[in-house]
Amino acid sequence: MKLYEKNAAELSQMLQNKACSAVELTQDILSRIDAVEGKVGAYVTRCEDCLEQAKAVDDARAAGKTLHPLAGIPIGIKDNISTKGIRTTCSSRMLENYVPPFDASVMKPIRDAGLVITGKMNMDEFAMGSSTETSYFHQTHNPHELDCVPGGSSGGSAAAVAAGEAILTLGSDTGGSIRQPASLCGVVGLKPTYGSVSRYGLVAFASSLDQIGPLGKSVKDVAMLQSLIQGHDKMDATSAYLEYTDLAENLSGHVQGLHIGVPKEYFGGGMDNAVKESVWTALRLLEQNGAKIKEISLPSTEYAINTYYIIASAEASSNLARFDGVKYGYRAASYDGLTDMYEKTRSEGFGDEVKRRIMLGTFVLSSGFYDAYYKKAKLVQRRIGQEFAEAFQKCDVIITPTTPSPAFRIGENIDDPLKMYYNDACTVTVNIAGLPAISVPCGRSREGLPLGMQVIGSKFAEQTILNTAYAYEQLVGGFHVIPETL
Amino acid sequence: MKEYEIVVGLEVHAELNTKSKIYCNCRNAFGLEVNTQVCPICMGMPGTLPTLNEKVVEYAIKMGHAMHCEINGVCKQDRKNYFYPDLPKAYQISQAEVPLCGKGYLDVMIDGKMKRIGVTRIHIEEDAGKLLHDDAFAGSLVDLNRCGVPLIEIVSEPDIRSSAEAKAYLETIKSILQYLNISDCKMQEGSIRCDVNVSVREKGSTEFGTRCEMKNVNSFSAAVRGIEYEAKRQIEVLEAGGTVIQETRRWDDAKGMSIVMRSKEDAQDYRYFPEPDLLTIVVPEEKIQALKESLPELPNAKLQRYVFDFGLSQMDATLISEDMTRSEFFDACVNRNVCKPKSISNWILSDIAKYTNETGKTIPETALTAENLTALIEQVEKGVISNSSAKKVFAVIVEEDRDPLAIIEEKGMKQNSDTGFLEQLAKDVLAANEKSVKDYQNGKTNALGYLVGQCMKASKGKANPGIVKEIVTRMLNA
Amino acid sequence: MKIDIAHIAKLSRLQIQPEKMEKFEKDMSAIVDMVDRLPDMTDTLTLDAENPMHLREDVAVAHKFRRDELLANAPEVQSGCLVVPKTVE
Repeated sequence: MKLYEKNAAELSQMLQNKACSAVELTQDILSRIDAVEGKVGAYVTRCEDCLEQAKAVDDARAAGKTLHPLAGIPIGIKDNISTKGIRTTCSSRMLENYVPPFDASVMKPIRDAGLVITGKMNMDEFAMGSSTETSYFHQTHNPHELDCVPGGSSGGSAAAVAAGEAILTLGSDTGGSIRQPASLCGVVGLKPTYGSVSRYGLVAFASSLDQIGPLGKSVKDVAMLQSLIQGHDKMDATSAYLEYTDLAENLSGHVQGLHIGVPKEYFGGGMDNAVKESVWTALRLLEQNGAKIKEISLPSTEYAINTYYIIASAEASSNLARFDGVKYGYRAASYDGLTDMYEKTRSEGFGDEVKRRIMLGTFVLSSGFYDAYYKKAKLVQRRIGQEFAEAFQKCDVIITPTTPSPAFRIGENIDDPLKMYYNDACTVTVNIAGLPAISVPCGRSREGLPLGMQVIGSKFAEQTILNTAYAYEQLVGGFHVIPETL
Repeated sequence: MKEYEIVVGLEVHAELNTKSKIYCNCRNAFGLEVNTQVCPICMGMPGTLPTLNEKVVEYAIKMGHAMHCEINGVCKQDRKNYFYPDLPKAYQISQAEVPLCGKGYLDVMIDGKMKRIGVTRIHIEEDAGKLLHDDAFAGSLVDLNRCGVPLIEIVSEPDIRSSAEAKAYLETIKSILQYLNISDCKMQEGSIRCDVNVSVREKGSTEFGTRCEMKNVNSFSAAVRGIEYEAKRQIEVLEAGGTVIQETRRWDDAKGMSIVMRSKEDAQDYRYFPEPDLLTIVVPEEKIQALKESLPELPNAKLQRYVFDFGLSQMDATLISEDMTRSEFFDACVNRNVCKPKSISNWILSDIAKYTNETGKTIPETALTAENLTALIEQVEKGVISNSSAKKVFAVIVEEDRDPLAIIEEKGMKQNSDTGFLEQLAKDVLAANEKSVKDYQNGKTNALGYLVGQCMKASKGKANPGIVKEIVTRMLNA
Repeated sequence: MKIDIAHIAKLSRLQIQPEKMEKFEKDMSAIVDMVDRLPDMTDTLTLDAENPMHLREDVAVAHKFRRDELLANAPEVQSGCLVVPKTVE
């Protein structure tokens, strides 16, 4: 087994036992990137100094320093997370040459722990999309079927893990942007509780919904990375004050007596049969091992997509207003006066999907429409949160499919925004309610494409959902992430 | 021509003098080199987030208490969205629905009478940067140093009825801000600015006329000129049979006129919505109360007390009350209860003011104490020493903390006010100056001055001139 | 629902190319029709006082970033300032 095929937990042991060095591991990843990146297209920017970073870790280890378990593990960073000195494009023409003078808060523990930053991962432009097709730079392909999308918006992050082009990656999730691509690429992805990972330096799409989270090959991998990046940050006023514990150390693998809620609204007509069957097979397996399954109802789920698109677009219209060609980023080459400069810069710098969302957001906030759209959506948001809170009185976790269907073909949905938006049907509710949720691989479609199962927890119940996912992983004998066909 | 009434509402923006900016820890400082007091947060770089400065909340609550506002201990911030190069995020973090301070009022003195002006709200927000223009340069330059400087916006009810009332209101706000030490109030640095809403209506009417908003009013005197210009303009429109159009106008103080900026149809749609990067502001009731109790007596209350309790003129009372060190000294003197407040006021506004102006010192920086000054005034009021002697004593006690009575004694300044002695003295002087007595009796009244002067001379200047004058007058008319 | 695309584009400082206008209008009205479907709600939004914000202490930090570092990404800089087309004052 090649190093790139191993997961972070295994590699962590090997590095600590000196079964391999960080430089060897990084070299293996770099040659894997050279071999498959042309087919996958997971990266926007590659870091030239990977080997030096790895060497620094090896030197520190040789000097007898106590290192973090993830020291020397190659990691890819989604390209909407600010990295000092490394361009951060959000896969947009607008920020094609933007190099932040500061690091996002999450980068500090990552750099301090000695993870090797391999580069910046492709994504849907400004994280708006579910297929990584809206990237200004290039398409990312699903490693399991190159004609298919990897999902999005963290498509590069998920595809890189599935292709062995990085051991771990960071993504961001506003309406499913970690979980949906994780599901479509057959990897594990965690969307943490809102407030548990600092957003400082994450280029905002929808501030009240965005969360940075980890992707990896195993549940333990994401638990390790999440343990590293979680925590209070005084730079982020929405960051929670909480004592955090190590999630990886406390993975039990038991589901005895665990109450699992299964909301009927997530198994309706819009869902692919193979998806429903796979998730029910997983549920039966958990039940056989001591979990208690209970059908529940989350009645406002039907309004989730609408609520999500109103709130997310409203915030986005404001968050993306700063891209005006004055302080950083793209500026149109020719214009006539200030307003024309603004309009040309923004029209040339943003792609169509970003424009649609900015306009939707502007519309729902505009005079005369605010109450009917934005305000109402905020009320529905509260109701959705209440329904989840009530559900968690009766069960410990909620299990649903991650996506309604497996990966679709590149170009299949790109001209139909509504069809594209329905990809988020199972994931947006979690962001609306600020909850943690994990997607794990769960069976295959008839065509052999990965499917995903989503485990949702109550606020700050990361340990519970990771335990549940870990138990499932043990029961199925681990996830086989990297496709042999690639 | 019909009789018209002017209706004015004011929106005052005051920069707070906190150490750091409202949403980042950059220095809150004026006049430094362009774009040097800036960080990724106040520059609006992608991914940056605001954190609210606790002092901004405290200062705004203090101002709210000073203006008798309801304090909303639970409130939030909102985004006001618009594009302009001095606004790096393309939205201003402000407060829309729920301001930190709600309804209140301010009592101001107009022509010796108190007038209550309603306050609609006070909210916190961030200032924008500055645009620099140079005719030699084709573009405009943007300096972001001022971005994120904390502001409070004080919105009044349309209760102001003249430019003079507007000026009194603005000056009262300024002196309160200085008393609370929450704003530097440097007009030339733009630390207080205002937007003026003006409408006119026929006298007696209860309906409001259509209002115009005037921006770019950068001094109190400009506010007066702007209001007068705008009211006159609107009255002329109405008198000519026209209607006033609701619009936003820009005041050009140099030209003394306002120009249309945008009409109601072009009104900006700011698309306010709750700032998702910040949580709810919750100020505990105990803290709100503690801030209330920390307030000093405010200048408008002092003014009222000085005029109505002590009988000072509005002018004198204003001059004392608007200056915190002056009024503190005045109050300390009055509290000694040994002389008339009016005499203290006269000393403060003449000799003391002259001294502090010349030396650049404030009263507490001089050697003068309330005890010494009032002891000195007491001697004048009792007729023990003359005014001119008192000035000499003052010159000493303002430089060093010495007992004025000792100085009077030492310099032999005491006047003779013994009536028996002075009557004898007057009798002798009149007897020796028969010609002047005759002159007086023949109508040459200025002979009185001469005779009093002779009495003073005979007493070697020690006679109390007031009493001497009284006695001489009585004797001449006898 | 028909959306006044021109007005919304203006507010958003976006220009929609004429050849893309038709599709934009169609997509936008489909999206608005989708999000329009929300239940009638009569309750009101309240502020979350249970989850108060921690405020920052008022301490100033001098010069964390150099000016040239902060302006390095700007399209046009002159004398330490950002440059924009002349604003009409």
